[in-house]
Amino acid sequence: MNREPVVLPNVKTKIKATKKKKKFSMKFLTPWLFLLPAIVILATFLVYPILEAFKWSFLDYKIIAGTGEYVGLANFKEMFADKYFWVALVNTLTFLVIVLPLNVFLPMILAVLVNQRIRGAGTFRVLYYLPVITPMVVAALMWKMLYSQSGIISEFLVKLGVFDGPTNLLVQSSTALTAVAAITVWKGLGYYMIIYLAGLQSIPKDVYESASIDGASVWKQFTKITIPMLTPSITLVSVMTIIAGMKVFEEIALTTGGGPSGATTTLVMYIYNKFMSLDVSIASAAGIVLLVLAIAASLLQMKLTSKREDDLRV
Amino acid sequence: MKSKQNSKIWLYAVMLLITVLTVGPFLITLFMAMKSGSEGIYTSLLPKDPTLANFVTAFEKANFGLYFMNTAIITAIAIPLNLLFCSLAAYPLARMDFRGRSVVLALIISTMMVPFQLYMAPLFQLAGELGLRNTHIGLVVMQVSTAFGIFLMRQAYLRIPKELEESAYLDGANRFKVWYLVVLPLVKPTLVTLAIFTFMGTWGDYLWPLLNSTESSMYTLSIGLAQLSQNFDGSNLKLISAASILTTIPTLLIFIWLQKYFISGATDGAVKG
Repeated sequence: MNREPVVLPNVKTKIKATKKKKKFSMKFLTPWLFLLPAIVILATFLVYPILEAFKWSFLDYKIIAGTGEYVGLANFKEMFADKYFWVALVNTLTFLVIVLPLNVFLPMILAVLVNQRIRGAGTFRVLYYLPVITPMVVAALMWKMLYSQSGIISEFLVKLGVFDGPTNLLVQSSTALTAVAAITVWKGLGYYMIIYLAGLQSIPKDVYESASIDGASVWKQFTKITIPMLTPSITLVSVMTIIAGMKVFEEIALTTGGGPSGATTTLVMYIYNKFMSLDVSIASAAGIVLLVLAIAASLLQMKLTSKREDDLRV
Repeated sequence: MKSKQNSKIWLYAVMLLITVLTVGPFLITLFMAMKSGSEGIYTSLLPKDPTLANFVTAFEKANFGLYFMNTAIITAIAIPLNLLFCSLAAYPLARMDFRGRSVVLALIISTMMVPFQLYMAPLFQLAGELGLRNTHIGLVVMQVSTAFGIFLMRQAYLRIPKELEESAYLDGANRFKVWYLVVLPLVKPTLVTLAIFTFMGTWGDYLWPLLNSTESSMYTLSIGLAQLSQNFDGSNLKLISAASILTTIPTLLIFIWLQKYFISGATDGAVKG
């Protein structure tokens, strides 16, 4: 009877404490439960192979035996001494220089066009999106046919007077890379258009209304409202283009196979060829160079665009 | 008024020209696929004597029925799993404060930059060790949980006003309930978008099936088509064209079915949410 008042509060605090502890551990666990399946899969089939690739680049790895000895930087030295590695590097950068401006501006124009309030705009969106839904292998083979010496593109260029006789752009070393880049741009138009379209539609309509009441021309509205408001979309499109452009494979592998005489052998093709000849350690080393380029490009791009956003704020 | 009409005509002219560029290659391929045996490949655009024989040959002789099944199976595995795992994983990254969040987020986003070609050889070996070579599961290990999907879903969650979830918490719902009952319905358009991205990524995937399917019984449509195109001339071009069209039709049908949802989808979430 006497003890009761002493015991009771003790029990109460104990209950309170466990409850709090349970609540705390749930609060700690919940986010990880959400993340668990994705993280397990990504760790196994993405992060682990990536780490392995790093390891292999320092080994003399034999994929059939599944072993390799540590060779330090020998793979990198061998690769940097390889003339074809440098050719591949230049081809990759050239490819990006061709694709990036086209990917940033053409889809933006398409988005502005199909964003107009005119009859049939929705149909045009669908038609512009068709290349995106085409499987990449199909796109590559279709364009290979179009590019063929007796195909429509050759015929068109001869009629324009660009070439004297039938010419396959894919087999000329001076034009092959551009011809391949055209496939990439064609395939991506609709996709990037949608990204811009989402950006365009998130711009409040009354901004345009008040601008046109103030007498701003359509062009001025485009440069002063649309483009600045699209900055996040532009950043996204650029970064995606660079990252995707460096990984381009099918449109090269299935059209030129890297030729003629290495004119379209990008870094990715170089890696693929090394893998096929079982030089997986060199392939890994070249893969790391590709990764470094992708990261560097993304960082630079983000820095540039965030700087422009800062300027706008001032 | 007249100048407005004029500019409208110009607008349509430009839009039609772009249409020729985006749709033209399909039509040319379709016409090529419908040319009969004796007809020259490049002599004319339209088939003189249209036939479906090339489609039948592709399906029967070139084994495209089997490749079609393989592709359908891996796509049916990839879509539901990727939607579930990505929409789950993205939620805490958008809405919960926990130790390690920024690290996990940075890691996931940075893996989006990593080219597949960097780790394809180790992955190839891993798939062999795990017994995934020449299996359907082995073909989709890269698709059942994607960094891009998590990124996409997180963006969608971030657009939802926090107040909606907060009022649900006040009513006593837990995190999973709020995610499932309140948040997920609001990002439905993004889920459809992700489903389509997953579909396209899996249906058209080339390099990984090329490595992992060493037996022709496990070829996908892309691989079958690439094999067929090893001989890229003469009458084989008609067959390649037919197989190309066959490979594209399912993606086309699904796009026609979901296109409005898809094209408006990305923005719907933001506006309605």
